[in-house]
Amino acid sequence: MNRKRALISDTFKVNKRRVGNEKQFGAVNNGEAGPLDVKATLQDLMTLFPRKLFNDALPQIVLKHQLYSIHNDRTQVDRQLSDLREQGELLMFQLGFDAEAFGLVFAADYKAKVLAGEEGRGTRGTVDKFLEKVLPSCNDLSFNKDKMLKEFLFTDSEITQLVKSGVLTVRDAGSWWLSIPNSGRFTKYLIQGRKAVLGMVKKSKYNEVLKAELEERQTNSQVKFQIKYHIHDIIGAELVECIPTTSGTLLRCVDY
Amino acid sequence: MLGFLTARQAGLDDPLRLRRAESTRRVLNLELNHDRDVDRIHSNGVNTIDIEVIEGRYMLSGGADGVIVVYDLENNSRKPQYTCKAVCTVGRSSRYVHRFSVETVQWYPHDTGMFVSSSFDKTMKVWDTETLKPAEVFQFEGNVYCHHMSPIARKHSLIAVGTKDQKVQLCDLKSGSRIQVLQGHRGEVLSVRWSPRYEHILATASTDSRVLVWDVRRASGSLFSLDQHNGDKSKASSEAVNTAHNGRVNGLCFTVDGLYLLTTGTDDRMRLWNSANGKNTLVNYGKVSNESRKGLKITVSRSCSPEFVFVPCGSSVAVYTLHTGELVTMLRGHYNNVDCCQFHPDYQELYSGGKDCNILAWVPVVRPPDVEEGTAVKGGSQATVNPAFEDSWSSDED
Repeated sequence: MNRKRALISDTFKVNKRRVGNEKQFGAVNNGEAGPLDVKATLQDLMTLFPRKLFNDALPQIVLKHQLYSIHNDRTQVDRQLSDLREQGELLMFQLGFDAEAFGLVFAADYKAKVLAGEEGRGTRGTVDKFLEKVLPSCNDLSFNKDKMLKEFLFTDSEITQLVKSGVLTVRDAGSWWLSIPNSGRFTKYLIQGRKAVLGMVKKSKYNEVLKAELEERQTNSQVKFQIKYHIHDIIGAELVECIPTTSGTLLRCVDY
Repeated sequence: MLGFLTARQAGLDDPLRLRRAESTRRVLNLELNHDRDVDRIHSNGVNTIDIEVIEGRYMLSGGADGVIVVYDLENNSRKPQYTCKAVCTVGRSSRYVHRFSVETVQWYPHDTGMFVSSSFDKTMKVWDTETLKPAEVFQFEGNVYCHHMSPIARKHSLIAVGTKDQKVQLCDLKSGSRIQVLQGHRGEVLSVRWSPRYEHILATASTDSRVLVWDVRRASGSLFSLDQHNGDKSKASSEAVNTAHNGRVNGLCFTVDGLYLLTTGTDDRMRLWNSANGKNTLVNYGKVSNESRKGLKITVSRSCSPEFVFVPCGSSVAVYTLHTGELVTMLRGHYNNVDCCQFHPDYQELYSGGKDCNILAWVPVVRPPDVEEGTAVKGGSQATVNPAFEDSWSSDED
């Protein structure tokens, strides 16, 4: 008897398809029951973000690779994300600690939080102007000096004000990344928490732990975010392997 | 399956549709079969394998010990159990054998009378298959990482050679000259590939993280360089030049129709490019682990829908769907790193070779034969004979 379930190509599958069919036995059904909806998933993931920790000063940030842990088809996720960015609903930021780690924030959230943070500060006018003029028209992650001066007609002193307020971060001489003000703590906690959660998986017997069990575990003081946030992060970044078993999904450490 | 056959019979479906559906089904069923084996000749890792395009019968393999072996893949015995025997070898005892490891071998695209091998002993040899003696030896200044001859060329017979040097050399098989040189890379050239669609288009990959596409008829430099960000200046840094990967680029493969180019790099990514304009199609394959310091040989399936790409990934071969980037399966079976793989288009089989000196044949799972009531009793002690070889007049009772 061939215990392995054979892979079947789409052309041979029966036409009537029940929802929830074709899933492997025991594996948690993370897949969508219809067309891929990245926006809904984003909203779900945003609820995992701890707003109180930052005293509500930061907008809710989700990492792009956390979406990969929920949806299987990465190319589709990428395409839908770029559509959302074109429409101006979503903003993407280079977080800086990893070349491939991108943070996603809803544009409305971002604007609200940045303006709230700028209350009473001298730089408020410039930041306002930046948010009104630049964000709707330009989808890039970083800006060049040329572009800022010529296309958007910002002066040097205005650019300095933007950097001071945290909306732009220096990348190298004459170019800046778009950034989230006060996000330094976020990055610090994220890296700390990621290391701690990975350590928990590594310390387990055989370097593997059931995902459901890991979600129930108590976290130490190093982990400031909800553990589910970190779990999506490490699965999406492929720092652990996801293996379907009869008792649920198993996370195994990938040793390199 | 029967639906497809009936539709083809009735003319409702194009004949190609049945062929594609069956090829895809077979590729999805690839697994190690204990009936099929390849003779184990190499004593050090297998670096490269190539199956000839004319008949698909003979396979060449080049090893880290400098040995080159020719295998016969055809199963002429009437038994399902078959070992692909080595027909001839250029072993350590031959006078003309390469002194160091053989990096690339390739059959002459138009017949099996000749093959070309290149090696770390800084030579490229053109062998006569009959006598196993080199008809021509090209000498280079640095280790030769790879070479490729265009499979469709009629107007030229150039072999593109990538060496430790930054220049890509073009050697002419007809005249033995090596005058033409393509300048443009700033690092060692790890992989070269001719396009299967246009006989003058060549793609080269190098340790300087760039992939350049050339038209060999042009006197000036390359046509374009592949840019992973598609010219999106915000993602590249201000001084950086277009890079195809964030690390060395060590694997190159054109799809069979020549419209797309796949590249793999040591940044653990694989990218699919449109070969006409060099745009990144942004298909996301996820992490394709790649630690090879030399070239990696990847291969693409043929006449399946969807097309699959086979990438050696550590000690297994990963199978991805070409245009969606989905990981279909991992073929596990090697004991050590896999270096090369080659797809046999006629039988939908995959051959892979690695550091464990084995060449494994991945064969589509055969549907188990239906056991009928009568024969189960009679044919107990006989070995099972493939029903294709049975005839309807001989009987078991004598």
